[in-house]
Amino acid sequence: MKRKMLCSGLAIMMASSLMACGSSQSTGGDASTGTEGATQGDMDDAVITIWSPSDKESIENWWAEKIDEWNTAHPDMKAAREAIDRSDSYAYDNKIATAVTSNSLPSIFFVDGPQVSYYAANELIVPITDYFSDSIDDFDPATQAQCTYDGELYAISATQSGVAFYYNKDLLKECGVDTDDLDSRTIDNPITWSEMAEIAEKCTTDSYVGTHIIMDHGEGIPYALEPMYISEGKDYISDDGTTADGYVNSDESVKTTAFLADLIAKGYANVDPITDEFLNGACATELGGSWDVATLEANATFDWGVTYYPVADDTHKAVSPCGDWSAAVSKDCENVEATGEFLKWLMNTENVASYADAIAKPATRASAYDEECMASYAEGPRALFVEQLQNSAAPRPRTPSYATFSTDYAEAMSNIFSEAASTKAVDESYIKEQLDSVADSFAEDYNTYYAN
Amino acid sequence: MAKTEQMSGRKRDERIAGYVFSLPAVALLIAFLVVPIIYTVYYSVFQYQVMRPNDITFIGFENYHKLITDSDFWISLKNTFYFTIVVVPVQCTLALALAMLVSKKFKGVSVFRTMYFSPQLTSMVVIAVLWTVLYNSNPNTGLINALLVNLGLEPINFLTNERTAMNSIIFMSAWQGAGYQMMIFLAGLQGIPRDQYEAASVDGATPWQQFWFVTIPNLKGTIKYVIMITMIQAMKLFTQPYVMTQGGPRNSTKTMVYYIYTQGFQKGNFGYACSVAAVFFVIVVAMSLILQKITSEE
Amino acid sequence: MKSLKTQKALQKILFYAGNTIIGIIFVSPLIWMISASLKPEAKIFANMNSIQTFVPEDASFDNFIEVFRRVDLMNVFENTITYILLILVFDLLINSICGYALAKFRFKGRKLILSFVVALMVMPMEAILLPMYIEMSQLGWVNSLPALVVPSIAKCFSIYMFYNFFKDIPDDLLEAASIDGSSPIRTFFSIVMPISKTVYATVFILDFVAHWNDFMWPFLIMTGKENRTIQLAVQSFFGTQPVHYSAIMASLVLSAIPMIVMFIFMQKYYVEGIASSGIKG
Repeated sequence: MKRKMLCSGLAIMMASSLMACGSSQSTGGDASTGTEGATQGDMDDAVITIWSPSDKESIENWWAEKIDEWNTAHPDMKAAREAIDRSDSYAYDNKIATAVTSNSLPSIFFVDGPQVSYYAANELIVPITDYFSDSIDDFDPATQAQCTYDGELYAISATQSGVAFYYNKDLLKECGVDTDDLDSRTIDNPITWSEMAEIAEKCTTDSYVGTHIIMDHGEGIPYALEPMYISEGKDYISDDGTTADGYVNSDESVKTTAFLADLIAKGYANVDPITDEFLNGACATELGGSWDVATLEANATFDWGVTYYPVADDTHKAVSPCGDWSAAVSKDCENVEATGEFLKWLMNTENVASYADAIAKPATRASAYDEECMASYAEGPRALFVEQLQNSAAPRPRTPSYATFSTDYAEAMSNIFSEAASTKAVDESYIKEQLDSVADSFAEDYNTYYAN
Repeated sequence: MAKTEQMSGRKRDERIAGYVFSLPAVALLIAFLVVPIIYTVYYSVFQYQVMRPNDITFIGFENYHKLITDSDFWISLKNTFYFTIVVVPVQCTLALALAMLVSKKFKGVSVFRTMYFSPQLTSMVVIAVLWTVLYNSNPNTGLINALLVNLGLEPINFLTNERTAMNSIIFMSAWQGAGYQMMIFLAGLQGIPRDQYEAASVDGATPWQQFWFVTIPNLKGTIKYVIMITMIQAMKLFTQPYVMTQGGPRNSTKTMVYYIYTQGFQKGNFGYACSVAAVFFVIVVAMSLILQKITSEE
Repeated sequence: MKSLKTQKALQKILFYAGNTIIGIIFVSPLIWMISASLKPEAKIFANMNSIQTFVPEDASFDNFIEVFRRVDLMNVFENTITYILLILVFDLLINSICGYALAKFRFKGRKLILSFVVALMVMPMEAILLPMYIEMSQLGWVNSLPALVVPSIAKCFSIYMFYNFFKDIPDDLLEAASIDGSSPIRTFFSIVMPISKTVYATVFILDFVAHWNDFMWPFLIMTGKENRTIQLAVQSFFGTQPVHYSAIMASLVLSAIPMIVMFIFMQKYYVEGIASSGIKG
């Protein structure tokens, strides 16, 4: 009896799962109605296939609309886009790495800015210079630089990002900091590190800390902090992307790192800040991303302002972060001509503007700001980010060993900051030792794979 | 005569049945576990950047040579063993205690079982994010440190101090994982004959004595099994350091699998990662076989 | 007499109170997750220094509405449950017969297979992801159901678990069956399986949960909406910067529901298996 029950139970389970399997396949065919962050267009018919990270609803809708528009106009060159459900950019890279082994990359895939050199050097993406020769000057200089490798344009992006100094006016006033002075700064007269440190010191109280440094243990660290190094005089890596020795471990870089570690050692910034620390009033100021503008506008219960990225006292050189996901044409693309045309169309002024609007990020094309949907970038915090992009933005190092550098640098900074927080002191020789090891492992990676 | 014939017939049946029953699983294991492992060993003698599979160079034992002098490898190995040695007794004891609490039928037993198992039902990502915040070093933003300060103690940099980071991960992992072992203990406890408890009870044994003299001996097999799998799972620790500390600070939470993953995928040194995986595999296999040998004697 | 009764009652209250306190400690992340899923984005990490973080302020179902709007959850559940059930049906069958053979049959190579199973248990998936993928692409299975199902069927953990459980079944019971003329294979299906519900339920629960939380393998091997599994749907809310935890928390709550239902349902197989089904008697 029991056996019969078990057997029939098993049979039912098997049958039902097989049926479910059949039905899921039959529903799989019409996968084109898409507000749901997935396939837009029909992958099987498509001449041009696209992978990009899945994103918020407005972006998913933008893709659906654009793919439709293109396919209606070009029935012979149909495009289809697949949203990739990445958990972090490393997972996305894994997806690319596995697709590489089976030569099954799509025609176009999106790449995070600093990874362009990595993919280009490994010949996974092909130059697209020709398709943008007459429009490239309309893109901001940082985008042009980030997407160029070895003199050729390898990728192109519609949007940009930036980091600036946010401040909570309520908390600053409480601590006696002149917020009008901060409000009145211009790109030629930004606050200096010592001013930043002074504000952080004044605003560190029992209930909040003075400032916030991005500590995501990942790409956020090299991204948000690089301008400090450039402003002090030495970038992470040489301009030609071949060596980190004498750059990331230079005296200037040690000094820059020591300045940051000091903020943590003195307790002016948390070594492991929580997400939304600034929004929750747990820190008075922050080096925050351009994406925080929208979050703060919607949610902040306090008065806030944003000013330019701080500069080194010695040089007063204005530098700011930038970079965003960019579209690149893959080596497996069978119809480069059509794909190039598609990309050119996808990145035209109107599309760039509507994409930037949908994703709430600054656009890369100067002409996009004339479009109606970009009106909010004419003044206020958003205008500040655009101004930084056009005047002071510096792309991350263009080197094929960036992935290794980024991982090791983030690890070294975590170590340095943790050490500073534990001992409440800054040990410059430890900083030097850590940055030396970053330079060493960069050299090893570069020499192994790319030196000749 | 008839009896021996029957016996040998049965033996033959058993032999055939043995092969028939074990074949499907063994075939699948060879196809989808052994073959990838062979690939891994194969790639370990190549210089292989993960993004260029068409450009791999044979370099003999160079990866292995490098590995011997790679301090990060040895630190990761040490951390993995430390984690395992500490977490296994803690987690298994906790799991057994939980299982004892909910092994008998009482009103609401399934509610409590579900509660204890619930960290397993919640995604590891959420748990890691939540614990990162709970462990936050600032009493204004971290619950545990807020409690410590209220008790008049100094706040602790749980995850950002090399002396506390691994122990913080151990505590959190034992708490999260205990539900898994609890279910296995529960299954084992269901198999203990009722009458043994009754007999003990009649003899006037206290609950504690019943636990020592009835439960534990009957549960021996399950306990061995649980220790074994907890150990093996502990050796594979990856998600917690990946999400919570990225191996830091000062390599204090870098584990073997974390190291393999960052080398192979994040940095793209696939060939090297394969050699690390191969050595790690040999070490752990040797260990678990020795353990298996020890526990299967008697 | 009365005092004995009150003592019993007191014991009962203590037992429940203890269980409840421990239970709350264990269930707190789930509560936090549910609470966070009801909060607006800006409030999720607010009040992390007090117990208040477990209480949803300004609660609303907006986050859930967003999830339902962005993801075809029914399709995702269907995909996930389909592939997991397919795996589990074969998993329970193939691994249990293998575990049984190792536990109860005498044949050449038994010891070898057992060592082989134990040794392979330790191979971490993260270390063999790429070779697995390469193998799948050589088989032409990339982006197909077999790639998701077939490699996951045989599990050393399950085999070992079954092996350990079946080992404890008394031999007299099996011999009795064989004297009655039952073949070893038949004995397994007619006698062993029915009395082993607890171990089947355990393996079912543990493997179901493991596959429900699978991210990396489905992510690498499958592309496209029609194949999306639950963890991929959850990850789709991570997007690019900034990460919005509100929708993530809501999607995680929704993804936990089928598991909780499954878990509560499977509980009823946690009966006193071997002892109560009359082996001893």
